[in-house]
Amino acid sequence: MAFDFRNMSFSRQILPVIAIIGLVAAVIFIFFDLPDRELTEPDREPPRAPDAMAESSRVAGAGIVEPSSELVQIGSALSGLVTNLFVQPGDRVSEGQVLFTVDDRAARASLQEARAAIAEAQASIAEANTTRATAGRQLALYRNIDDPAAVSRAEVIRAEGEAASANERLRLARARLAAAQARANSAQTEIGRLTVRAPIAGEILAVNIRKGEYVSTMGGGGNAQPFIEMGQTQPLYVRIDIDEEQAARVAMGADAIVSPRGAAERRVKASFVRAEPLVVPKRSLTNSAQERVDVRVLQVLYELPESNGLFRVGQQVDAYIPAGTGEQDDRE
Amino acid sequence: MAETDIQAATTAQAAICSRGVTRDFKAGQQTITVLHGIDVDIRAGELTYVVGESGSGKTTLISIMCGILWPTAGEVKVFGTDIYDLSDTELVEFRLNNIGFIFQQYNLIPSIDAANNAAVPLIAQGMDRLEAREKAVAMLEKLNIGNQAGKLPSQLSGGQQQRVAIARALVHEPRLVVCDEPTAALDAASGRKVMDLLREVAVAEDRACIIVTHDNRVFDLADRILVLEDGRITHDGSEMPEGH
Amino acid sequence: MIWIAIRMLTGDAQKFYGLVFGIAFSTLLITQQLTIFVNLIERGASGTYNVSSADVWVMDPVSRTADVNFPMPSTALDKVRGVTGVEWAVPHLRAGASVRTSEGDLEGVSVIGVDDATLIGLPKRMAQGSINVLSQPDSVIIDDVGLTRMFEDGRSPIGERLELNDQRAVIRGVADAIPSFTSQVTLYTKYSQALRYVPGTRNRLSFVLVGAEHGVSPEELTRRIEEQTGLRARTRDEFAQDGVDFIIQNTGIPLNFGITVLLGFIVGVAIVGLTFSLFIRDNIKQFGALKAIGVTNGKIRKMVAAQAGLVGLIGYGLGVLGTVFFIWGFSGNPTFKGFYIPWQIPLISMAAVFVILALTGWLALRNVLKTEPASVFR
Repeated sequence: MAFDFRNMSFSRQILPVIAIIGLVAAVIFIFFDLPDRELTEPDREPPRAPDAMAESSRVAGAGIVEPSSELVQIGSALSGLVTNLFVQPGDRVSEGQVLFTVDDRAARASLQEARAAIAEAQASIAEANTTRATAGRQLALYRNIDDPAAVSRAEVIRAEGEAASANERLRLARARLAAAQARANSAQTEIGRLTVRAPIAGEILAVNIRKGEYVSTMGGGGNAQPFIEMGQTQPLYVRIDIDEEQAARVAMGADAIVSPRGAAERRVKASFVRAEPLVVPKRSLTNSAQERVDVRVLQVLYELPESNGLFRVGQQVDAYIPAGTGEQDDRE
Repeated sequence: MAETDIQAATTAQAAICSRGVTRDFKAGQQTITVLHGIDVDIRAGELTYVVGESGSGKTTLISIMCGILWPTAGEVKVFGTDIYDLSDTELVEFRLNNIGFIFQQYNLIPSIDAANNAAVPLIAQGMDRLEAREKAVAMLEKLNIGNQAGKLPSQLSGGQQQRVAIARALVHEPRLVVCDEPTAALDAASGRKVMDLLREVAVAEDRACIIVTHDNRVFDLADRILVLEDGRITHDGSEMPEGH
Repeated sequence: MIWIAIRMLTGDAQKFYGLVFGIAFSTLLITQQLTIFVNLIERGASGTYNVSSADVWVMDPVSRTADVNFPMPSTALDKVRGVTGVEWAVPHLRAGASVRTSEGDLEGVSVIGVDDATLIGLPKRMAQGSINVLSQPDSVIIDDVGLTRMFEDGRSPIGERLELNDQRAVIRGVADAIPSFTSQVTLYTKYSQALRYVPGTRNRLSFVLVGAEHGVSPEELTRRIEEQTGLRARTRDEFAQDGVDFIIQNTGIPLNFGITVLLGFIVGVAIVGLTFSLFIRDNIKQFGALKAIGVTNGKIRKMVAAQAGLVGLIGYGLGVLGTVFFIWGFSGNPTFKGFYIPWQIPLISMAAVFVILALTGWLALRNVLKTEPASVFR
């Protein structure tokens, strides 16, 4: 039978065709509209266990980079205005190098004063010497006159008194000199104390004072910032917090694998330094002032190798430490 | 002896041969016997009428003769086949291949056209639909309604529907045609025409045609008339008996 | 004969369309309601599925779902990292907070803190902006459905300032995420920032997201983590299922939808059953005639089956198509975001259609098969 549109029946031919097309469309729709639930690899590298430790037992911890000397917060012994600042952050300093000076005008004035007193005392000594010489000569003259009638007895006693007095004045002048010299020394020491020097060799990490600012002896503690923070950054140490429940598993002495936050693919091997004997409450690393955590952590120190600026003091790191073998035996 | 002769003679000629056909119906507690041991032969090449009052058992008789109603007792042979010896499926198959039916209400399928209606037995036999339709159209043309082949039954007049029904009964060239009250809904002239038509197309040398009717207007067209009364054949001849 | 059966069926347009409508309506009701049901309860798992890279979620033993969680101390992260087979582990914070919009309105939001360094925990795709905006101070990323709730007038949210726990937050991006069951506004930000946005309690770490080493199955890894750390670990699929189960246990949704689906089924049976029976009864004479002529019961069964099949095909096709149009048409609506048709559901409705047709077809056929061929002579 030739195709004839008039023989087409809506219910017998067109409807089933519509139904079949609809079914095919539905099948296509259903299979292409399935929700996307595929697992994907993360875009950015998360901290992963190092390959060497992937299949073995390990302990993970977070930590903070610190100088090997720990952080030295420089204070000042005396208060006053900062008159000179000789370092800036990043400078390497040797032990005893001047970091900054505090206003020393008062100390210098008292030094000046002491020096004047020294000069005065010295002049007094000279004057006393002269007087003593004169008195001595006169007394000798009287003593050499045999004729007792030539010199009255009173005259002799006066001369003897003058000589003794001259001796006393000399001793006094000497004592004043010593006092003035002591004052000068004291002023000198004070001037020295107003010059702050590096206690150890190391790197300046932060400078929180500027010329002209007032430093007080209260600084460096409480809420105030330390004037200067420094530390030995060659090498750097990293202080890893280990949950106390996990602490027993750590293989003490083994190297740790450390990577900085945000650069998880750059891992370095850090060598064991020591474990702190004191288990401390976990310090918040999340910048939240309110955070209180009742977990205690064991802190373990590791020495970081030279890493060309990858690690900086205060940076957070993720670390993996092998678990102790004895512990593994227990579990197995 | 004589009975054996008859049997021998009829087996050769008889299209349908019924022996001792009895049929009971159960109505509640009662058992009504509709047919009482009918022995009759229907010969091929004749137009046979079965005539009787309502309730005389004529419909039951032809239902049994054409294999759609089991007799309570007795046997029916259609062209030598004992049809109630066949399995259900074989019997259905036998009907499909050997018997043509013309129903009083035609029972045409309303949603297919005249030609397809006429082609139903061929399609049921498994013939390709288009081929069957071609044959059906040929049959309709033979019945002079070839031009109505594409119309639905509802678009045809009663007489035309009757012809479609006849075409359906004959299209697969059955050896027995059974026809139930073909003229009941027609006027006298049309009735005679249908009977003439049936005689023309349905009666052949090896084909038997049984017509159930009580329409006295067409009695004269029969070759043989069987009168049934209360489940018994009371008359068997080429004319109606007196008094009917 | 099949051809005749189909003709008989479609010849009676009224009943044919009645049957098709019945099946289509049933299919639509069952498919659509089941689809909405499944999608709705899967909203319980959206928090899990939005994080695309975590194989395993680790949480406090009492945590149940992504939204019903109990925070852990921050060292839990290191405990998990110490487990063999963990490739990586990052912190994840989920908590509720109240936000003040620039208009001064108060809105409940859920704040999600993702790992600072890797941003693991963000949805896979962004609708506006890039995930790198989180590196700017006080940045948050809002989810797209939350956006429509918070900024109903449709203005761009980028640069909008919010106030969270007395802290400033600036919206700098919009994430393309599946909303949660409650469609709550979700703000994504860095973990360290989230700690400031969420009112503080002692412990803050809601989850640790874990990636498994290659060759270690998530199931095996959860077992190891639970054994070694004492925390609860769930694979992604388990955790998603937990979310779904939570919704099922805590809402009346399954019952309500179950009733609707059952109604769809009953309506289907009623409409189709009645219409089919009427259709068969109308055609009982024709079937009787066919039986008399010599059509076996087997063939009659096939005819009715063909009729049921055609009705089923068309009705089911139209019903499924209707569901597809529904889901597709509402895909732009935030309420229906991410809705999809699970492939099992059309199969379920197909089975339902099959049952409806088999049941009604069988009932209708009984009449036909019982019909005595002899009855055509009366």
